[in-house]
Amino acid sequence: MTASLLDVLRAIRAPVAAILLTLAIGFLLVASITDEPVRAYRDLLFANFDSLSNFALFLNRATPLTLIALGVVFAFRAGIFNVGGEGQLYAGAITTTVIGIAGASMPAIVLFPLALLGGIAAGAVVGWVPGVLKVRLAVDEVVTTLMLNIIVLLITSWLANQVIRDTTAYGAVSWMVPETIWLPPMPLVPRATSGFLVAVVLAFASWVVLFRTRWGAEVRAAGTNLRFAEATGVPAARRVITAMVVAGGLAGLAGSLYVLGVGHRFEQNFSPAYGLVGLTCALLARTHPIGALATALFYAMMLNGAAYMQISTDVPRSLVNLLTGLLVLLMTARLVRAARHA
Amino acid sequence: MTLTALLASVLEQSTPILLAALAAMITLRANILNVAVEGMMLAAAFTAIAVGGWSGSALQGFLAAIVVAILFSQLLALLTLRFSADFIVAGLGINLLAAGGTLFILERYYNSPGGLRPIAFPEIWHIPVGSLSRIPVIGPAFEDQSIIVLIAILAVPLSYVFLYHTPLGSNLRAAGEDEHAARSAGIRIERMKALSLAISGLLAGLAGAQLAMDKLHFFLPDMTSGRGFIGLAATLFGGGLPWMTTAAAVLFGFFGALGDRLQVFAIPSQFVLMLPYLAAILGLTFARWRIHLRNRPAKVTDESA
Repeated sequence: MTASLLDVLRAIRAPVAAILLTLAIGFLLVASITDEPVRAYRDLLFANFDSLSNFALFLNRATPLTLIALGVVFAFRAGIFNVGGEGQLYAGAITTTVIGIAGASMPAIVLFPLALLGGIAAGAVVGWVPGVLKVRLAVDEVVTTLMLNIIVLLITSWLANQVIRDTTAYGAVSWMVPETIWLPPMPLVPRATSGFLVAVVLAFASWVVLFRTRWGAEVRAAGTNLRFAEATGVPAARRVITAMVVAGGLAGLAGSLYVLGVGHRFEQNFSPAYGLVGLTCALLARTHPIGALATALFYAMMLNGAAYMQISTDVPRSLVNLLTGLLVLLMTARLVRAARHA
Repeated sequence: MTLTALLASVLEQSTPILLAALAAMITLRANILNVAVEGMMLAAAFTAIAVGGWSGSALQGFLAAIVVAILFSQLLALLTLRFSADFIVAGLGINLLAAGGTLFILERYYNSPGGLRPIAFPEIWHIPVGSLSRIPVIGPAFEDQSIIVLIAILAVPLSYVFLYHTPLGSNLRAAGEDEHAARSAGIRIERMKALSLAISGLLAGLAGAQLAMDKLHFFLPDMTSGRGFIGLAATLFGGGLPWMTTAAAVLFGFFGALGDRLQVFAIPSQFVLMLPYLAAILGLTFARWRIHLRNRPAKVTDESA
């Protein structure tokens, strides 16, 4: 028991060090700006729990982050560097919206699963393409996922601006999806999306799938050494592709749940780089599903806390963007270094 | 006359993309996929406006932009080469740091999160109007282009000569092609990679300076709007070869120039803007596919049938 506890401590030492170092640098910055750095930091980290409505917003923020991070976990475990979370998220969100709007006359019992599955499928397709290209032709997946992000964002921009745009609203937003297919709020926490529960369940399910099933073991084997796995009889290429489909599907689900549970429509700017932040969370958690849930919660706390911090003190909320950059720079340095020594 | 206008517009659109493409190319030859070009461009664009507006000197703004971009590139080099961080993650970190840092400074020190517009901004040197009118069509297209456009055009043969006709350039390529072989030949890999990143920073700095200083004279938080990635796409499409990369960058610049005009034909601009990225994916896939076909084991044909 103590041995496994030590293992856990050793595993989280590097990411925790990166987080603490980043927070320390941030504190120095904040102290140079405001006379109340402690107050600013309290708001940044804990204002999410001041009221039930703050808490609800926090859960809403954590939902897409968790799901995208889980997707990245699957991809990384299969040896694919999936930078495409943003594109997969947008594909899911726009597809759910389009289906919701186009099928507004359908009964909810048909439309809801259709919209949800459509979103998941769209994300999965966007994940499938780089997976196949990587495994079959060895096309670098970083490039394809990066490029696909921009392609998908341009497609959604066209749809949101020219095709399903709500002409009565300001900005590039679509018409609302019918209220009958809105996701019910979470029990006990009004205004929080019940999508969060889905994310939590999926985090634990991902752990079971990756570490307690044959399929998960094969995915990890394929990710560690594709040719070796192939040689020992594991259908590694297929596992990698499926893992990318799962990764895209999870990110697509994130977009879908956002539309059904929070936004109720597609907004071109709904994501503050969720794709990249989700990737950050997954890497910080060292591609562990439960860890990814924890880091996603931490990041949601920071993202929303920054807004409260800006209101109570005069520290700009973009401090968080700055800190994210620092964290990403620092954490990878630790991550790879630690991995090499192990 | 309209041909001249189109040519001028293509030149203007291509220059930052070309510089970004060369920036990505030089690191690609050292086996680094440089996703940080976008961030370095953004930091340079901001510095150009901030320093140029503050000092009233275009030269100082220009030089400061390049210095900042090189500093960012060396931060990336430090973290990846010294602390063995992953190039992709650290590169994305540089992008986030540049975007977050510029926004933070805008909010904190300029109190204008929307952007930075100095009331007066010094002009960078442009080719005087009328000086090239004797050359038909092409001459007028170059008139009123900034000096950075000329530098960008010069950078193409320079990068070619550097990569293929200098010892340093061959060492850099050797470091990128086979690390172990290069190391045993006495090439210092880390130094070569750091150098390629520094050159990349220089070129990305030029690209950022051009974006901010040429015509606009202001800075917006999302000013680079993916040009760094288009440059990366051009490099990948061009296979990391100077002339092919240049051709791809100019082609993509041409699409950009065309993008605004194509709406006349009822083609949404988004689909035109998409072309560089699609071209990069298809180009890479096609290249890999050809290699795949070549390396395919020979088919065993059943001759008795």
